[in-house]
Formats: sequence, structure tokens, C-alpha cells
Amino acid sequence: MIRLNRRVLERLDPQTPDVDGICTTLQYAIELEHATIPVYLYALYSLDAVRNPEIVKIIESVVFEEMLHMTLAANVLNALGGTPAIGHPGFIPDYPGPLPGGVESELTVSLRPFSMAQLGMFLDIEQPESPIVYKAGRDALEAGKPVTIGQFYTAISVALGQLGDGAFVRPARHQVGPDLMTNAVVVTDVASAQRALAIIIDQGEGTSTSPLEVTGGGYAHYYRFMQIQKQHFLLFDPHVGPGEKAYSYSGEPIAFDPAGVYPVPPDPSAAGYPAGSQQRALCDRFNYTYTALLLALDAFLCGDNTGRQMDVAIGLMMSLKSQAKAMMSGIPDPGRYTGPSFEYQASDPATAR
Amino acid sequence: MSYLHPVRLHFSGKFQANVSTVNNDPGHFNNATFQPAFQELGNGSDNGWFNPQGDASFRLLGCQVMSAFSDNAPVPAGDLVLGCGVADADGRVSAKLADLDPEQQLVSQIWGLQVRLVDGSGATLLRGSYTPAAFCDIWGRAAGGSDMAACATYQSVLTDLEWGDLSGSSFLRQLRDLSAAAGTLSIKFNVDAFCMDFTAADFMCGRIVGSIGPGLPGEPDHLLVGRHFMAQPGGQLNYCTAVVDAAAGCLFLDLGNALPTCGPANALTNLGDLQLGVLDPIVTPDAPAGVVIPLGSIAAATYAGDPAWYARTAGIVVFALDARQLAAVAAAPLALSGAAGVFVGEAASGAWLRADAFVYRLSPGQQVDMAVHAMRWGQPLPGAVVSFVADPGGLQPVNYIDQDETPPVGVPLAAIPFTAEARTGPDGVAWLSMVTGDPGTPRYFGAAQDFGIDGQVYGIRASFADPQLQGPVNETDFISILLWSSFTPPQPLTWNTLQPIFQQYANLYPVMNRFLDMGDYRQVVANAHLLKLAFGLDSGNPNAMPVTRDLSPAKRAAILSWLDNPLEGTPILRQQRAPSGALPQPSSEMANRGGKATAMSRRLSVQHRTHTTLKEQP
Repeated sequence: MIRLNRRVLERLDPQTPDVDGICTTLQYAIELEHATIPVYLYALYSLDAVRNPEIVKIIESVVFEEMLHMTLAANVLNALGGTPAIGHPGFIPDYPGPLPGGVESELTVSLRPFSMAQLGMFLDIEQPESPIVYKAGRDALEAGKPVTIGQFYTAISVALGQLGDGAFVRPARHQVGPDLMTNAVVVTDVASAQRALAIIIDQGEGTSTSPLEVTGGGYAHYYRFMQIQKQHFLLFDPHVGPGEKAYSYSGEPIAFDPAGVYPVPPDPSAAGYPAGSQQRALCDRFNYTYTALLLALDAFLCGDNTGRQMDVAIGLMMSLKSQAKAMMSGIPDPGRYTGPSFEYQASDPATAR
Repeated sequence: MSYLHPVRLHFSGKFQANVSTVNNDPGHFNNATFQPAFQELGNGSDNGWFNPQGDASFRLLGCQVMSAFSDNAPVPAGDLVLGCGVADADGRVSAKLADLDPEQQLVSQIWGLQVRLVDGSGATLLRGSYTPAAFCDIWGRAAGGSDMAACATYQSVLTDLEWGDLSGSSFLRQLRDLSAAAGTLSIKFNVDAFCMDFTAADFMCGRIVGSIGPGLPGEPDHLLVGRHFMAQPGGQLNYCTAVVDAAAGCLFLDLGNALPTCGPANALTNLGDLQLGVLDPIVTPDAPAGVVIPLGSIAAATYAGDPAWYARTAGIVVFALDARQLAAVAAAPLALSGAAGVFVGEAASGAWLRADAFVYRLSPGQQVDMAVHAMRWGQPLPGAVVSFVADPGGLQPVNYIDQDETPPVGVPLAAIPFTAEARTGPDGVAWLSMVTGDPGTPRYFGAAQDFGIDGQVYGIRASFADPQLQGPVNETDFISILLWSSFTPPQPLTWNTLQPIFQQYANLYPVMNRFLDMGDYRQVVANAHLLKLAFGLDSGNPNAMPVTRDLSPAKRAAILSWLDNPLEGTPILRQQRAPSGALPQPSSEMANRGGKATAMSRRLSVQHRTHTTLKEQP
């Protein structure tokens, strides 16, 4: 379970919440939601999709929802008159390193090819608080205790409730709605903001009573990943217990074929590849595209909330997928495997401008 | 005047052209005989040539402004432009490079390129959209006869200009002001030294050296209204262009694609000092052919002795002309000459013509008007009659898999009913006009029973009708047309009808396997949302599919409509069959040479020449 530094909530005084404080916290939320994506993508694209099709589908489905979470947090931020800041070098955390705001020293996230050990890290990231422990408001801010991600969003939600509808900019601005992204929520007031944040919580951790998501229809991320560890799909299974216990990992098998993982290096950096090498060139090209995606998303979430700009971003995501799958699988030089480093890079190659 | 202007910058760096090579062989378009091995990295037609996994990306890599001139004087060292990079888009995917057709690979076009000038702090000072352009004047610049030795040139314009904070560059402010009326910049670059070694960092990359100047109202996009120097067969210099600027009292000569190099990416070959002169045609008893008035020389020590010269100048030389010289060049042929075999010069008539846009993708029933610019002594030539003749000689029909099934080119001619002649207007422009017909499916395989290459590719050559105006011919200079087949699918539209299109795409572009198997109905349906996005975009969008731009609007519309309601129909078992004939050649040698060099060698005109030569041998 990620436990966040209380520092991240210090601007959320439940007695006197202020818009600036909530905006600062929401910016942090966007960074946190993004920070897991490179970690998941690195494992995802290290897999030979033919040999590990189920695992590929599961990780891919989680990544899609992390992108939705980023967007939902940005919608709330925009609704309050704030401005998401995505297209800048500080937006990307260092890998390996803690997730933004994390306090648990043992949870260092890293870019690694898929393995059961790396899966363990995914489970750590997504592990929910024990059922029915979503404490709200002042409880969550009890001195001395770190906060879970669920508590973090709940605290924002409570603070928004205290702030009231008057804090929301009218007319609604820069909103990404369900016409552009499935399950996105247009945020115009407290209720819609709380609905958006609830989606983030329940897709990530499940509801307090079920591993099922309220939105999207799948299992929460933790349970989705657990299927890989248990090597079986999770099924509704009324024989094993009542209520939230009526599930078991007894579905179709999920095989992990370790030979279907490309031997890419752990935690690569562009500088770690020899200057002038093909690997450096491929890594630079990927990073330039990745940076372009951050800039495109920045535009998308800061006013260019159009289908056209959404398509620009999707095109970049597809390009990243294509580049990553090629370089990680030994294309163009068979036997030479290059891992993308997910670094902010404003020019290609990095050294030139 | 375009980029040959007293206000211009030169840049240099690398480009990437990550084209896929499975589609280099027209035989690979035959679904019925396609083998998985055709997608593998290798050296010949029995596999996927030298880069089967290419994704068609065209990128500018590490390009830098090398010099800039304001009123022909170098800009002061403190001008911000001198530290600028020349980069591509920073907020969308890379541009794409695509051949017109497997049987016309010698006019590859750049689509969806954005060009930026970026200062040392990363700020974008200029952003412009590159109007899609095809290369021209390809030649073997270095020894070796491969793509590594080839060089070609791209000329186009940047539109939708967005200028940033120009307070640090008086040069850029001047460039902005000069381009304000037309709203465009003129950009030209030369590409050479293409790397085909898949183990190298520069695989599918090469050298790019170019120039940017103001676009002026009324100028064509892709050619210079100037003085055109014609290469000689077997000569050491390639085609090049000059512009005389009487107001500035100078002549700009662009040798960027005209001088040979010692090897790929190497320095320019030392051809000795080069002399620019103009012929004074006045005949005297002492000079029965007239006399050459020297205009200036280019010392070998400059262009060959200084390894940085080419990158710094983009090969552009400026000659100051006095009033007498300006008068002499006004209506007399220019030439650049040196030692034996070193010569390029204008036609004796001083006349030259070319289509501005010379690559067309057309549908049946489409009205098209193609602008052909005629000029003489660098000025638009009004009232000249331009002849148009179908000429497939520069096209490249071949089938390395099955020579008995080489798709024919240029037929049926009736599908391109163009006017045989047109007269230039006051602006020197003649229009080649037609309403296209339907070419049918002359390039389907298996006696037209199997799927094949869509439509037909044609060449049309323009020339002056008046023999007095005719001069040397540039073989690579003609209008290329890909005319698609009409396509009216049976209704209801099902996968059965569209499967060959998707299957061919899956065969030719292994890069698609990173997303889905395009030949698999279920996977296509599962990815319908992404495919609708990609197939629905304008072809100028870098995300448009197919990246090769070889899908007709009719087929594209059918695919989009089917994706809304993807009926499968009754599955049809499609038979694979072996090629009917023997492989014509072990082709690894061809593929080692690369796509362009191989295409050059298989042009119909060259095939005929080879045939004739063989027949003539005892």
C-alpha cells in the first residue's frame, strides 16, 4: 500500500479549506496518477504479447484507467480555476525512486521488465486500505499518520464539500467529458467533483464492499493484478463466502511465460547508453516523443479540450507504443534490447539544440 | 527568389526516413503468393529487404542553424538565430515519408512535417507547417551506386507561421517582415548519406543540409523561377539553379545538390576551381561560338578544402555582379564549368519548365488542373505552347517474386484524358487539365482474379512545343500520377470484401503487428475505434493511415462505413499459391543497394536501354 507523506495534505485544512490549497493538492494528484504509468508501460512492453496475452491485457487495462484518473483530477482542478502543469521536466519522477509524496521507504518504484517480483511492486502500489476504512476529513488528517491514496482523495472530496459550489468557476472550463474519454466526468460543482474523485478511488482500490469497480465494470486494479499472481482470473463465487468475500481466484488460468519477456535493462537512462550508440538514439527518440505527449496533454487539459487534440495525443501514445515495442524486442538490430527511460527531453537528440 | 534571397539562413544536421521496405517489391502486393519470410530483415525480394519494420517516420535530428545572412551580409554574432536548432514537431507525432507507388518510388513525399526554430533555451521562435513535397533531381552523388551514395532535393514552403519572441534576433524580425505578404517561408534541403546498416546508430538516417528564406507573393511552392542548369550525361555535376537579383546586384547559385562527394557524408570532391560564366552570343570571326564572359569562380580550396563549407552555406554561392555583368546575364545562357566533365549550363534558349506540384493521387472522375511553370532567362514565359506526352519511362515496373506477373504501368491511357497542349498565361503558367477516368484494375494479380496494386501509375512529360525553346531533358523530371481504381463494394459491406485490403496492409507493414493483426477480423473489430480515428484523418495529418497514402478515398470511405457496422459475412477461404514463374534474379545485390538506387536501375527507360544494349552485343 502506498502511504503518502502528510505533507501532501498540509494545504487541506478541513476547517478552512481554500481553493489554492485544494488546487495544489490536485496538481499533486495528477503527478501521482501519471507516475505509475511509465512503470506499468515498461513492464507491459517488455512482454511478448503472443506469449503472455492475458497479462498484457490486464496491465493495459490498468494503464487506460490511470490516464482517466489523471484527466479526472485535471477536470476538478480546472473546475476550480486552476491550471494543470504537465509539460515541464519536473512532472516526471525519477526512476528508480519513490512515487511523488510517498513516505514508505521500501516502496521504490522502478522501470523493470515484467516479472513476478515487479508484479509484487504493482500490488504494493495498488493495495487498498482494508475494507471499510475510508476515513474522511479530520480523521484522515490525524497527526503523525501517513495517509493512503484513498484517504488522500477522500480528504480532497471532503474539503471540496466544505468549500461549496460557489468555488467552482462558471461556466465550466476546460472539461474533458465522456464524449472525449469514456467515463470522464464533467466537473461543475461539488457533487460532480466528488463523483470524479470517487471513480479514482474505486477504480484503484475497489469499493469498501467489493473488488468490483463502480465505474467501468472491471475489478479494481489491485485485484486485477492479483489475478496474475494467483495465475487465475477472479470470479464471483458465492460458495466461498458472503458479500465481498464471494469471490475467488478460480477462473481460467493465466499463464506467465518468462521466456516471453525481452531482456531489457532495469531502470535505464539515456545517459546510461553509450554516446553515439543505436540504443542512445532509440532512447532519445522515445523520450522526445514522450515529451511531446506531455506537451500535447498539457494543451489538451489546459483549454484545447477538443477531439482534434485528443487525436493528437492518441497518435503520440500509439507512436510511443510502437517505438517501445520495437526497441524492447530487438528492432532494428536483433538481439540488442533497449529500454525507454521516460525522461523529459525537449530535443532529439538530447544533446543538440 | 524564395530561399535564394539576400535574407536567408542555412542549416545542417541529420534526418531520419524510417520507411518500411516490404513494399519495395511490387510482387509483395500479391496476397495470394505472400510468404511470412517477406516480412523478415534481409537482403532481397525473398524477404523484407533492409528495413521491414520501418514505421515511415521522417524526423529532423540535431539540425542547427549554421549561418544566416541579412542583405547578403553575415548576421552579427550576437543574433539569436545563430544558436537556433531546426527541429520538427514537439507536440505531435513525427512526419511521414511515403512513396507514391511501388512502381514509382522516385518521388517520395514528406507528409505532416512541422518545422521549428528553437533557441538555446528551448523556446520556439518559429513554427511552420511544411507543405507536402516530393524529392527531385536524385543522383549518385558519391561512388558506389547505392542509397548511401544518393542525394536528392526537397523544395517547399512553410505555412501557418507562428513567430515567438524575436527580440533577440533582428534577422528573424526581418525574415518575418519579408514573409508577411505571402505568409510563407521558402525551404529547400538536400538529403544524402543515407545509412542502411541496421546495427548503426544512424540506421535509416542521413545528412540534411538546407536553407530557409522568405516566401514572396506569387511564387510557386516547389520550384524556383530562376536559371536552371542542366546536367550532362556522365558529367560530374548535377542539375542546379541560380537566381539573378538585379536589385541586390548579385547572382545566387545553389550547388547544394550539384557537387559530388568523396563518399557518403564525406567532404565535397575536389573538382578544381569552378568558373561561372555567361555566353556572349555575339559571333565574331575570332569567336564563331561567341565568348564566355566570366562572372566569378569558386575556388576548390573553398568548397572542397573547407570541410565545413557545405554545412555552413548549404552549397549556395553568391556572386556579386556589376552593371555590365547584369546586363550580360539578362538574356544569355549561364554555365558552370571546370576541368573535363565538369559542366552544367542553361539551355541555349534559356527556357525551362516544370510542374510545381509533380506528384498526384487522383480518384476516377476527378477534375484536376496542374500548374506547369515556364520561364526564360529566369522570368515567367507567357504565350509559350507546352506539350504533354504520356511517358512511363521513369516508372519502375518489376516483380521480383514472379516476373511473369509484373504489373504493367501507364495503361490504360484512356483513363487520363489530358490535353495535349496548353499555352502559358501572362504568369508563365500552363495548365495540364483533365477529368480522370477509371483505370480499372490492370495491376491485379492472377489474371486479375486476385487482389493487387490499386489503380495505375502514370508519367506525363511536359516540354516546349517550339523546337527553338527545347533543350536538354531531365529524365527524372515528369508528372507522376497515381490514379486509383473505382471501388463500389457490394452491399451490405462485409469483411469478405475488405479483407484483401486489410490483409495486404498487414503483409506490407509489419509495424502494424505492434498493434494488431490487420488480417484478422476479430482484431480489426476490437480495434475499430483506433482504426476509425486513423482512417478518418486527412492525408496531410501525420497520424493518417495508411501511412503510405496509397488507399483511395473510395476504399477509405468504405472502411470507415464498415467499421461502424463491421459485418463479417460468410468467411471465404482464400487460397495461397506458389509464384508461377522463376525468380528473375537473386536480388540481394539490388536490395543491398537500397530502395532508391534499385528503383533507379529498374526504370522502364533503363530496362529498355539494358535490353537494347544486350541485343546489340554480338
